[in-house]
Amino acid sequence: MSAPLVLFRRVAKSYDGRTQAVAPLDLAVAEGEFLTLLGPSGSGKTTTLMMLAGFEEPSSGEILLEGKVITRVPPHRRGIGVVFQNYALFPHMSVAENLAFPLEMRRLPRAEREARIARALAMVRMEGLADRRPAQLSGGQQQRVALARALIFSPRLVLMDEPLGALDRQLREQLQLEIKALHARLGVTILYVTHDQGEALTMSDRIAVFRTGRVEQLGTPREIYDRPATAFVAGFIGENNLIPVEVLGQEGAFARCRLPGGAEVLAAAAHPPGPALLVLRPERILLGGDLPNRLFATVRNAVFLGDQTRLVVALGETTLTVKLPHRAGEHAVAPGERIALGFAPDAALLLPAEEGR
Amino acid sequence: MTPRILVGAAAGLVLLFLLAPILAILPLSFSASDILRLPPEGWSLRWYAALLSSERWLLAARNSLLVAGATTLLGTVLGTLAALGLHFGRFPGRGAVLALLAAPVVTPSIVTAAALFLAYSAVGLAGTFVGLVLAHTVISVPFVVLAVLASLRSFDPALLRAAASLGAPPAAAFRRVVLPLIAPGVAAGAVFAFATSFDEFILTLFLAGPGQFTLPRQIYAAVRDVWDPTICAAAVLLFLASMLLLLASEALRRRGGGIG
Amino acid sequence: MRRGGLPAFLLVLPLLALLVLSFVLPVGRMLWTAVADTELADTLPDTAAVLRGWNGEGLPPEEAFAHLVRELDTALAERRLGLLAQRLNFEQPGMRALLLRTARAAENLRDAPRERLIALDARWGEAETWRLLRSAAGPVTALYLLRAVDLRRDPAGGVAPVAEEEAIYRTLFLRTLGIAALVTAICVVLAYPVAATLAALPARLAAWGLVLVLVPFWTSVLVRTTAWFVLLQREGPLNAAAIALGLIEHPLPMIGTRFAVVLAMVHVLLPFAILPAYAVMRRLDPSLAKAAASLGAGAWARFWRVHLPLSFPGVAAGGAMVFLLAVGYYITPALVGGPRDQMVASFIAFFISQTPNWGMAAALSLLLLAMTGAAALLARALIPGFGRRA
Repeated sequence: MSAPLVLFRRVAKSYDGRTQAVAPLDLAVAEGEFLTLLGPSGSGKTTTLMMLAGFEEPSSGEILLEGKVITRVPPHRRGIGVVFQNYALFPHMSVAENLAFPLEMRRLPRAEREARIARALAMVRMEGLADRRPAQLSGGQQQRVALARALIFSPRLVLMDEPLGALDRQLREQLQLEIKALHARLGVTILYVTHDQGEALTMSDRIAVFRTGRVEQLGTPREIYDRPATAFVAGFIGENNLIPVEVLGQEGAFARCRLPGGAEVLAAAAHPPGPALLVLRPERILLGGDLPNRLFATVRNAVFLGDQTRLVVALGETTLTVKLPHRAGEHAVAPGERIALGFAPDAALLLPAEEGR
Repeated sequence: MTPRILVGAAAGLVLLFLLAPILAILPLSFSASDILRLPPEGWSLRWYAALLSSERWLLAARNSLLVAGATTLLGTVLGTLAALGLHFGRFPGRGAVLALLAAPVVTPSIVTAAALFLAYSAVGLAGTFVGLVLAHTVISVPFVVLAVLASLRSFDPALLRAAASLGAPPAAAFRRVVLPLIAPGVAAGAVFAFATSFDEFILTLFLAGPGQFTLPRQIYAAVRDVWDPTICAAAVLLFLASMLLLLASEALRRRGGGIG
Repeated sequence: MRRGGLPAFLLVLPLLALLVLSFVLPVGRMLWTAVADTELADTLPDTAAVLRGWNGEGLPPEEAFAHLVRELDTALAERRLGLLAQRLNFEQPGMRALLLRTARAAENLRDAPRERLIALDARWGEAETWRLLRSAAGPVTALYLLRAVDLRRDPAGGVAPVAEEEAIYRTLFLRTLGIAALVTAICVVLAYPVAATLAALPARLAAWGLVLVLVPFWTSVLVRTTAWFVLLQREGPLNAAAIALGLIEHPLPMIGTRFAVVLAMVHVLLPFAILPAYAVMRRLDPSLAKAAASLGAGAWARFWRVHLPLSFPGVAAGGAMVFLLAVGYYITPALVGGPRDQMVASFIAFFISQTPNWGMAAALSLLLLAMTGAAALLARALIPGFGRRA
């Protein structure tokens, strides 16, 4: 990888000297990438973003931007675009004046300012609304103006702090696509904070999963989804089955595991004998019997979701979630039925036994 | 519903009681005779003429405006700065400062007047313009602080971060973002400070020398010492000034300023 | 974005300086004056020093007499005797005359101070006189505070009531509290229907109604009190109207009566009771009254069991404000009241401007502050949300 645009070097943050909001973090952000900081609230993702923006000071470590140390540079000199959760549009200025603000700070001549404003409005499809006040705009419109304002001075890096949280689902999905499109078109580096794992999977080039101040895993969406590194990541991203098992022994490339209740399955992984956690995606469990791992379970719950049916089945004392693709005309599985399920060994992952999630 | 009508009628009577004396002064100020009878025995502008041609009353009016103006200026500057410091800052004793601000308002005016008279006499400030302005400022400034703090409370702190992220150094951010948004609050505080000083009487009674009599002080002298029917006209003018200030305050409240 | 401590504190500093210099220090100093006893120590320093070391039995040592004569002489020559004379005379009438006479004769007493002083006036041979001087040697005294509650120190050193004719302060405080309480009660009762009606109106009408309350609120107290002064005159409009309506035959004297004071004070303080009550009532959920009605509550029950308890904090807060203001009131009793209607504030003013007695002015102020402080604390304890104004 060529020199990263942003480098976090052992950056840590503690507010009271005892608990660490962010544990020492080493993170490199490549130029032009869309990196998402994902995690539940309080996991340190927003704090990390704020330290990069300059609104929080790291307790230790250095932050570098384009190779230069910016840890102690005040925020107004960092030249980083920021989109805030509640948009932070200046209420006493019109849309055009909001957009003009960063350009005035950089003392651009008037003609240039007006040209850029026109371009920015067009870019977010808000032409004609230049003279409106933020209070007169809808949530989605305000968000677009916030985006345009953060981009209008052509920063190399844009930070977004859960910008779509306040919008309804449809608007959110629409804006996700718009942001992705802008990213592709402008080639700007985006650091995006969200707690919505679906959003992260949709938009990112890479995802850093945060939990209590630490990055548990850094990887592409597929890596995170298919090969979660910890039980937390496994459970946080998408739906997953986490089954405590006893590894009996290795059989070539497969590990033989015993499920609670006695059934034995094969997982395509290497793991020393002993307790472990079996990770299995609901959509990798199929109906029917001609797969190496066969299980018989009782249906507890069946919900029809249109494109799929989501089952909760009981395997002795273990509960599993199963997602079956819907094929018209098929028999609808009902609660109480006993069904045969199967999954391929390489659908199963083994993780060290943890204290659960 | 009868109870509601009764309550409403009672409310109406009370409101009438509140407004009647003030409204009664109006026709009396136009009375042609010395004797204050309603309806007046004749209509005349003589009292207003007397007011406007009287040295004493004109001086009193000028003093009122000067003192209130100076108080408002001093109080608005000190109060706004303090409110900004109290809102954006974090320092030990913040709560104590806020409590201290409330002290001049909750202390009975007579006690404050006595204390200031004693202190000012010792340092030669009694009977001076400066002393009067300082005293008026002490009791007006809490309102400025309250109004500006109220305005700041509805100020979104993310706006300052946004301004910084867009390249604005702190001074520019203050000028372009904070100031315009707290302007209604500052203005409302200033109006209240002006009104407080304009109507202030007790401190003035003890601290003003003969050359610094304000309108209320002069009215008191006219009532107590030498009966002068011009007081009705003076009271009406003072009342009209207060109404202008009330209108200004209401207008500001609709634009986002106000006390609490 | 909270900035750190120092720059923010610097912003607050100018105002803080003003408040400390022009409020805290003066008030503190005045309260200290209530107990400070410096006249004797300032005017007759050596005498005071000797007296402080004396045990109070019999007569003081020789040097006390000598110092006294010498220092009285100097004080009279430098015209500094007035304050001391007044201070001692306040405690014991007759002392001023004694001091002046002694000071004028001081030259002749120098040679044999003790004998000649006693010869000049027998009181100089009485232990009581000297004990009086000793008690005034300072630095502090309970004289003013005691007097402010009609007490004094008796010769034995204990506390005793003052003479009947001089016992005016307890009545004064009771009268002040009584008038304040009466005014508060009337204000609360009158404020209730106004606040309730305004709170029930739709927003626009309520705003206009509120303006009607704000008009007197923003009008100078002096203008309002003057208005009453004019209206209540013998030949004034109120009397004239009453006669015209046949209610009375002859004009009633209304100025200078308790009636006028209470009436004018109620008028001035009523908005203070209405506004907080209105604020609380405005925020009451209207569906609560409807729920009560649906559960069978008649108008009185709805008022007594639902509306009143819920609006209590606002009404009580308004009442508390009225009481706190009324207790320290000066203007209204001064303008429209008679000699029997004067409140504590008038006496404080009297001791400042008419007969300068800073000790009494300060003592009365201290007690007034204590009263308002106690009332405020009581209000804070009993009324939920009181004191959290901003």
